[in-house]
Amino acid sequence: MLRNDDDSWGAPAKLLHWVMAALIFAQIALGLAAVGWRLSPTKLDLFVWHKSTGMLILALLALRLLWRLSNRVPELPREMAAWERWGAHLSHFLLYVLMIALPLTGWVISSASNVPFRIFWQIPLPAITAPDKAVADAFATVHGWLVTLLAIVLFAHIGAALRHHYVKRNTVLTRMLPWGTS
Amino acid sequence: MKKILLLLGGLALAHPALAADWKMDPLGSKLEFIATFEKNAAPGVFREFDARLRFDPDKPAGGSLDVAVKVTSADMSIPDVNKEIRNKDWFDYAGFPQAEFHSTDLRRVEGNRYAARGTLSLKGAKQPVEVPFTWTASGDGATMEGELTLKRGDFGIGLGEWKATDTIGAEVKVKFKVKLRRG
Repeated sequence: MLRNDDDSWGAPAKLLHWVMAALIFAQIALGLAAVGWRLSPTKLDLFVWHKSTGMLILALLALRLLWRLSNRVPELPREMAAWERWGAHLSHFLLYVLMIALPLTGWVISSASNVPFRIFWQIPLPAITAPDKAVADAFATVHGWLVTLLAIVLFAHIGAALRHHYVKRNTVLTRMLPWGTS
Repeated sequence: MKKILLLLGGLALAHPALAADWKMDPLGSKLEFIATFEKNAAPGVFREFDARLRFDPDKPAGGSLDVAVKVTSADMSIPDVNKEIRNKDWFDYAGFPQAEFHSTDLRRVEGNRYAARGTLSLKGAKQPVEVPFTWTASGDGATMEGELTLKRGDFGIGLGEWKATDTIGAEVKVKFKVKLRRG
């Protein structure tokens, strides 16, 4: 099944969800490694990987939003309490906002630092801000807070999925699994 | 006899004056170097340098070119990079604050294109280098412009793990525009 329906997610939605999940975990690891590494060719390469993955995530997100807006979204289980629905919507909204804000603030840091960059060493990425060390430092701080927020929301997101499956025993998790159906 | 000697002496004195002496006008002159960083151009400039030239465009042989570059005036416009290139692995400002190029072998290649073959001393290494340039006269001044490609490894720029050239490329393009006036 390609398209989503009221009960389950279609294959494209599942594929985008899991590919991006893998990329986001790799991205957090790459970012932490790049920042912490001592100055060396490896550090510079880690930054190219991190920035490239960020741009890939941003591109996939655009695709994902288009797909989501042109499809229905499976319904939440009827028995969910109001606070649970509210929490689900808030966390999903925050995940989308963070998936946009993190690459964009990263792009600003890269531009303001005046470091030339090609996505995966191939496609030159234009600067979106003028070189300015103060701007680069400020956005690096914001980028750091955003990734902290992302870690908290991901913890809630994964925790909620496991609770739906193991405690509430509904189909919220299985209908997103690659091999699962509702 | 005395007259002839005087005449000869006069000729001997007059001859070197045919190849005029030129001094650089720092305001109109620029010395750039363009390295590569992760497959991107990474440009920099040397803010302070000086060129002296003895040169007759119609008769380049017998001329000379002497360039002194204050390596410590390098500016790659990224604060973190500028902090790094002063270190021993790169330019080593403390050990080698000045680079020099000397040539007494100037020739015309074709039309207004010339070449100066000489020795570049940079970071303690001396390497034979040919500097191609064009010569454009204007009024009582002139402009020489050109570019050449050097290998940073020949001068020990980028030591240790930086010797590998996949992150910071092996080749560095050098571009110059030198405004000269007779002096």
